[in-house]
Amino acid sequence: MTQHISPERIQEIKAARQVLKTYKYSPAAVDKGYTNKTLYINISDNTIAEKEITEEIKDKFIGGKGFGLWYLWNAVNKDTKWNDPENEIVISPGPIGGITQYPGAGKSLVVSLSPTTDSVVDSNVGGHFGPLLKFSGWDVLELQGKSEEEIIIYINGNEGAISIEKAPLEELNSHILAEELTALYADDEEDKRNISVVSSGAAAEHAMIGLLNFSFYDKRRGGQRLKQAGRGGIGTVFRHKKVKAIVIKYKGVRGDSNHPADLKKIQELGVKLHKEIHDYDDIQTRKRQVGTANLVEIMNDYDLLPVNNFKYGYNPETWRISSDILKTYVTQNVPDGCWYGCSLACAKACDNFELKTGPYKGHKVLVDGAEYETVAGVGSCCGIFDMDYVFECNFYCDTYGLDTISWGTTVAFLMECYENDIINKDITGGLELVFGNRDAAMELLHQVAKGEGFGKYAGLGVKKLKKRFVAEYGADKDFLEAIGMECKGMEYSQYMSKESLAQQGGYALTNKGPQHDEAWVIFTDMVNNLIPTFEDKAEALHYFPMFRTWFGLQGLCKLPWNDIEPADNKQTDEPAKVPEHVQNYVELYNSVTGKNIDKEELIRQSERVYNFQRVFALKLGFGTREFDKPPYRSLGPATKEEYFSRQDRYDQQLKEKMGIDPEGKSVEEKIALHRQYREQQFEELTDAVYKRRGWTKSGVPTIEHLQALGMDYPEVIELVKPYQ
Amino acid sequence: MIQLNNRRETYDEGMTVSSLIKKKRYTHPMLIVRVNGQFIEEEMYAETPINDGDDVKIIHPIAGG
Amino acid sequence: MKLLEKMEERCIQCNACESVCSKAYFKTDDRTKSRIVINDDASATRDWTINVCNQCGECIAACSEEAIYRNKQGVVMIDAKKCVGCYVCVGFCPTLSMRTHDDELVPFKCVACGLCAKECPTEAIYIESK
Repeated sequence: MTQHISPERIQEIKAARQVLKTYKYSPAAVDKGYTNKTLYINISDNTIAEKEITEEIKDKFIGGKGFGLWYLWNAVNKDTKWNDPENEIVISPGPIGGITQYPGAGKSLVVSLSPTTDSVVDSNVGGHFGPLLKFSGWDVLELQGKSEEEIIIYINGNEGAISIEKAPLEELNSHILAEELTALYADDEEDKRNISVVSSGAAAEHAMIGLLNFSFYDKRRGGQRLKQAGRGGIGTVFRHKKVKAIVIKYKGVRGDSNHPADLKKIQELGVKLHKEIHDYDDIQTRKRQVGTANLVEIMNDYDLLPVNNFKYGYNPETWRISSDILKTYVTQNVPDGCWYGCSLACAKACDNFELKTGPYKGHKVLVDGAEYETVAGVGSCCGIFDMDYVFECNFYCDTYGLDTISWGTTVAFLMECYENDIINKDITGGLELVFGNRDAAMELLHQVAKGEGFGKYAGLGVKKLKKRFVAEYGADKDFLEAIGMECKGMEYSQYMSKESLAQQGGYALTNKGPQHDEAWVIFTDMVNNLIPTFEDKAEALHYFPMFRTWFGLQGLCKLPWNDIEPADNKQTDEPAKVPEHVQNYVELYNSVTGKNIDKEELIRQSERVYNFQRVFALKLGFGTREFDKPPYRSLGPATKEEYFSRQDRYDQQLKEKMGIDPEGKSVEEKIALHRQYREQQFEELTDAVYKRRGWTKSGVPTIEHLQALGMDYPEVIELVKPYQ
Repeated sequence: MIQLNNRRETYDEGMTVSSLIKKKRYTHPMLIVRVNGQFIEEEMYAETPINDGDDVKIIHPIAGG
Repeated sequence: MKLLEKMEERCIQCNACESVCSKAYFKTDDRTKSRIVINDDASATRDWTINVCNQCGECIAACSEEAIYRNKQGVVMIDAKKCVGCYVCVGFCPTLSMRTHDDELVPFKCVACGLCAKECPTEAIYIESK
């Protein structure tokens, strides 16, 4: 089991604490999903204040990511950088967040200026913090400033008490820190379930790709589970502010804690979905058995699993990291939800995993996961087909506070640089960073946590590493731009988009960067061939990003939308949309808030926030067409080995799509022809998508569109005006 | 030749829905199959023949990931 | 294991069991609050007459809060203090015998107390220990 913290250690930690500020409040009652209050904390001067949330702000921004964007917009100006004290970390669960009846309703959305993209970023995370924050009286937690000393912020939602305390002795790494703080604040074993901790880890201090862990107490396993707000380096911001943790305690979660307008309707919808999951999950995506890892072998079968830094989509060794192998690690058949009532239960975990390396070598720990993105990112993308490694790396990334997706894609990039002699052992300090070298990759991770050796740079992320390698080692810039799998400064999540034009847009034509939570349209496009024209693709790249943005406004998880489907979904007009579940969401929203939206208004709610986020990026100097340009490898074969791996397909495409006879042409010529064609296709796609989204050719929302959405705030209009 | 998802696909002697799914390595668990517009239940995949010239749709109803 | 057994062919749909049950646990004569359900819909074709928990315990595994447990007699019980009202147990009951009511946040189910069996005029329901 996890390390058990001794009572003496807890006493020692407590004795070293020094209270810097206390604040008493009367917790606002939750009414129809909202408390209508924001908690503002500034840790530069230890200000704690309450703000009212108006009906106007609720109508326009809904909650979750919408609220986060609104508060951050008001906190920063065009010159604010991620490491300025003015930057905020805003956490908000959304109005539906916290209901216990419908699966996937415990998410928090975190918004900040990102160290990797330098623009605004949002990240979606499970764990209990968001709902407990709301039941403690707050729709939003807005954290600003920078502390001079290590601090912890504690919110007691039952007593209405907040404190900021100097916290010198607590461990940094999350698996120990979360356990220490849960033990410290719980009255007894039974009380541990009422606590959630937000924390990061040692590596977030030496990397730009730091993450936040949100904990919850797993009663069956007797340990803290950690869910990750991984994307965009918000953990790096957190550690830069010298916050060790934010702890919340609230006792008394019940089926009606969110005080919805129509609890009965929510219960009906919940039972209907629970029953669907009970009846069909075993024959559909097996989330309850293996979590998201069922995708590993499926992506491999469809040539979509990133292998060796996205060169290839398939490897015969993939079975070693497939869900069948994963199943032998995770504890089976327990309800592994990350919030109450999630019967889809994808949050798998492995108990008593014995670590082979690093500072906790020999410890038996609880590993949360591994999820698909992690298996693919640190596994196949780095050419490592070893499940022991995947679990060990997953554990250390989480506890050190590093995003497994960005870390995997970054290490894969370093490996390709190493194999191309752009970096060598002199630079890596002796690490032989070739594809498949798990020992070197693991050592590099530990070096990042210590801030030593090559680890001082490895966590910078792909974008900053590219610049560094060009400047310091004279690397070929064009080559690095082609193979470095980042867009806007965010590393790609783990799907191969080369053969799906629509997904190339699904990744690059996004607000925060190439994270598939906006659109995943590979099957619809590449396999089903249902969206053949640019207009079809543009429609998909309008609808799905808007639909999926909505989860982030509400505090919802995307998985129960389409990782489980009703029996008759196959017979519907648009099965990829899962119409019955869309209707469930419309009714859930109405039942919580007492409002009366339909599925069209659902999309408009997202459009308001989506367009606002686009303009926010513009305010910070981004948000135009040039920043939507993807690395060539996401569009097509960048190297000879990639071309050869799919030569028949690529030669045939030359003939059929470009009308060019490949006979007698060198591979370099063929690569160049493909590139010219594919980049042109991407430009045409971009035009079509911008048009559908109501944007100009430069990728900026038109004034008319903003007016139609009711998002024509003066500052917004000022920003977009020069681009009309 | 048959049409599979509006693209040309080689016809093999004795082809069934099952054999086509296998050949294409369509291992996703949630497929929607129509042959000449006719919806085919999963239990019938092995017994449903595909004839030369047929229009086959094998749809993956997934916009997930 | 103690449970309420049934012989459906004996049931005359007098609904006495439902009345006893709701009075015992909810202090009201309201069959929508009974833990045993009698299907007396004369219009529909009836493939069941009595629906009541068979104490199989699948709901125990489905509950993340460990709010459902088996007592010493083998009866599956709900600890209302631990229940967060998520209704996973309702959706995961193989016989659809976990009951809910608008007035109640916590689901309810047959605990094999036998009060209804005593009232049943035809001995269609009876307590058995296995």
